[in-house]
Amino acid sequence: MKYVILIHSNPQPWGHPTGDFIAEQQALPTEQRRAMNAGFEAVLTELSERGELVGGEALADPGSARLYRWEGGSPVVTDGPYAEAKEHLAGFFLIDVESQERAEEVVRHFSGPGETVELRPTMTVRAEEA
Amino acid sequence: MVTGRALEALVEDVWRRESPHVLAALLRRHGDLADCEDAAQEALAAAAVQWPRDGVPDHPRGWLVTVASRRLVDQVRAERSRTAREVAVAVAEPHGADPTAPSADADDPAEVDDSLQLLLLCCHPALSASSKVALTLRAVAGLSTTQVAAAFLVPETTMGQRLSRARATLRTAGARFVEVGPAELPARVAACLDVLHLLFNEGYAASAGAALLDVSLTAEAVRLARGLHASLPDHDEATGLLALMLLTAAREGTRVDAAGDLVPLAAQDRGRWDRAMVAEGVALLEEALPHGHVGRFQLQAAIAAVHAEAPSAEETDWRQISLLYAMLAERAPSPAVTLNRAVAVGEAFGPEPGLAVLDPLLADPTMRRHHRTFAVQAHLLERAGRRDEAREAYATAARMTASIPEQRYLNARLARLDNPSNLDER
Repeated sequence: MKYVILIHSNPQPWGHPTGDFIAEQQALPTEQRRAMNAGFEAVLTELSERGELVGGEALADPGSARLYRWEGGSPVVTDGPYAEAKEHLAGFFLIDVESQERAEEVVRHFSGPGETVELRPTMTVRAEEA
Repeated sequence: MVTGRALEALVEDVWRRESPHVLAALLRRHGDLADCEDAAQEALAAAAVQWPRDGVPDHPRGWLVTVASRRLVDQVRAERSRTAREVAVAVAEPHGADPTAPSADADDPAEVDDSLQLLLLCCHPALSASSKVALTLRAVAGLSTTQVAAAFLVPETTMGQRLSRARATLRTAGARFVEVGPAELPARVAACLDVLHLLFNEGYAASAGAALLDVSLTAEAVRLARGLHASLPDHDEATGLLALMLLTAAREGTRVDAAGDLVPLAAQDRGRWDRAMVAEGVALLEEALPHGHVGRFQLQAAIAAVHAEAPSAEETDWRQISLLYAMLAERAPSPAVTLNRAVAVGEAFGPEPGLAVLDPLLADPTMRRHHRTFAVQAHLLERAGRRDEAREAYATAARMTASIPEQRYLNARLARLDNPSNLDER
């Protein structure tokens, strides 16, 4: 079963790993931040070694986006960001795991204070008998 | 004059036929699957270069085994000198047999055993279900890592990692080739049946998708089930599984329409069901059923046979199917069986009795996370004339499914419910 892990975040300034640029995480004791990072790295390595990590990317500053919106029959292009939201899509991982339980176990390590991490199943073209 | 492309196909063909035997020959001398697969792969690479140039040898298997054995010996030696420690493997010295000798005849009993023993190794209890399936495709079916990766829609590196991990797990568990004793054999064969069934279902589900895959997993599953049936002709469940696959695969071409939308069983063009596959499946079933040990695969095959033999959807013997599902529920109870029994009872005795069968599932938290529970409920409610409830159930099912074709189908049913002018029979 494939899932995307979507990192919604607003690092200031924009940067990766996002946690390094988020006030709530900067405020944590060094030891705790180190432990969180180590936990994340361990899970990422494990995902890769188990053949569960399909892919992922860190995204550029939302201001660098180009937005296409249709007006009067053709697309009108403006500069980003997409929305004046508190958080932006900052990156994503695509995983392929045996169960929802495994996905939930993994995704905990992607989260941190001051950010929202979204676990979302992907759709497939597979179909059982209708 | 044979073209380069035809030669490539010929090499691939020979390889697919011979690879389990080559691998088995290597594994008898040197137990490590990863090492043996590497060596076999190198022999294939050598064949891909030499055969198109020099022609396919008279005894391709002997050729492949010889080349692979040499690679294996080199590899083990290199490892020994590199690590300068005792390697706990039997030296790659052939036991008596000359690897360059012509290969055994095709009707040699060892011939069918190679694939069975490999399958048993790939279905070792230490492996996860998905690892068993992937390793079986790689080692028994002889698919390349690229092909296995494509079949599961993951990048090659991801599949490569999965396969390496599976081989490492076998190594850690101390799994050896030709190790399964008589006491352990029934359980291991049952595990093989489950893996082949899973592989088939995986392929059948994927075949509804728009993208035509390079490798048909259903065809691979049928091929492997044929091999298993050949190895164990008296195993009634192995026979039942092959029958089930054939009877189901016979419908494969009719389950999606030209627009790519799912066609339910009742609306499928029965004239296009593969009659040869149906006939073979029915014959296998008739051979196995009288033996008395009617297991779940035989029962499922029997259900598929009732569908296959009905001249039209209306003439389906749903009472017979309900009975078979009741037997299946006794033999191998599962929520999925209950779900299918609800459909059958609904068809045989009316929607309300069908809904009564479904009731316990709707109270089960796990099944409430499964879209099919609500899809079946929606159909039954619609047939009972309970439109508002049917609407809600269709909407719930459509929201929950992760399948694009199923979601399109459920949304279409929902739309038809609100616009009865579009209503046609199923």
